[in-house]
Amino acid sequence: MAKIAKGIEVEGTVVECLRNATFRVEVPNGHKVLAHISGKIRKNYIKIVPYDRVLVELSPYDLTRGRITFRYRS
Amino acid sequence: MNSVHFSPGTAVITRISDKQWHALDDDRVVGRGDVSRRPDGRIFLSIDSWHGAVFDQLAATMLTTLPAPLYTVVDEADLDLTASWQRAGFTTRRREWEYLVPTDPLVTGLDSALSPEGVHIVPMGKAQEGPLREVYDAIRAEVDASVGWDSMPAEVLVRPDGTVPVDPAKYAVAAQFDRYIGLVRVVRVTRLPRIGLLAVRADQHRRGIARALLAHVLEALRRAGIETASAEVNESNTAAVALFDSVGAERVSSNLELVRH
Repeated sequence: MAKIAKGIEVEGTVVECLRNATFRVEVPNGHKVLAHISGKIRKNYIKIVPYDRVLVELSPYDLTRGRITFRYRS
Repeated sequence: MNSVHFSPGTAVITRISDKQWHALDDDRVVGRGDVSRRPDGRIFLSIDSWHGAVFDQLAATMLTTLPAPLYTVVDEADLDLTASWQRAGFTTRRREWEYLVPTDPLVTGLDSALSPEGVHIVPMGKAQEGPLREVYDAIRAEVDASVGWDSMPAEVLVRPDGTVPVDPAKYAVAAQFDRYIGLVRVVRVTRLPRIGLLAVRADQHRRGIARALLAHVLEALRRAGIETASAEVNESNTAAVALFDSVGAERVSSNLELVRH
C-alpha cells in the first residue's frame, strides 16, 4: 500500500487578521504565510485573533499559503 | 520555496472513517472532508481543499452518502468557499453577526444598567448547579417551542451520555428570590473571552434582565484586565442585535449557516 503524504505543518503566530477571512501568520523561519481557517475550526466557532499561536498546514502547491488547523490555548 | 503542480479532476476520493474523507493526488492529501453531528441532531460538513475541483469532487462524494438535510458554516467574507458550497447546492439559512464587545462601561454605557427590582445577579462560579440546569433546560424548551434551539449560537459539546454540561463556573445567572430566571455563559479559553449564550425566561422578557447580565459579566471581565469579548448574534434575533448594538459592540464579521435539503 502506498504511503500517504500528509501536508507540511508548521507552528506560527497570527500577526494580522485580514478582511477576506484570511490571516497573516508568521512561521519560525520568519516567512509570513497567508492562511485560511480550516472548516473544522469554523464549524466549532473557534476564534482566531492576533498573537494566537496556531498550527498551519502549508499548501503543497504554494508554500506561501496555508490553512490554520489548530489554535493553541496559550 | 518549491511547490508541486495539480491536474484538476485527478484526485481520488477515499472515505477513511465514518466521519472523514480524503482526496488524494499522487498519494498526497490534497483535500479533506469531515462530518459531525451537533447536539441538536443536525449534521454539519466541512471541506478543506487547495483547489475548487477537489472541493467539488469531495462534495459530490459526501453528498451522495449522507442523508439530507446537511449544514455547513462559512465566513461570509470567504467568497470562494461560499461559492463552492453554493455549487454543491447549499443555500443560506441564516446569518450570524460576530461582535467584539468592549468591557469599558464608559464605552458601553452599562455602568448605569441596574438589575430590575427584585432581581439580583449571581456571579460566575456561585450559581447552584441544580437550579442552573433547571433554568437552562427551561429556556432551551422555550426557545425550541418558538424559534428553535438551532437558531442559537453554537453549543458546548455534549457528554457521552447525551447530556449538555452546565458548568456553574461559566455561568452568571439572574435570580428573583430563589428562582433563576436568566443566564449568561462566558468561556475564557483564550485572551478573547466568548459570550456564548445570553438568555432570559420568556415570562421575564423586556425587564432589562439581559442588559443587567451583560453589564455584570463585562464588568467582571474588565476587572480581570480584559478589554474585549466576542459574541455571535443571529441577525433575526432583533432584541439581541439591538442590545449588542446599543453597548457599542462592533460587528467584525458574519458567518452564514448554509443548508442543502
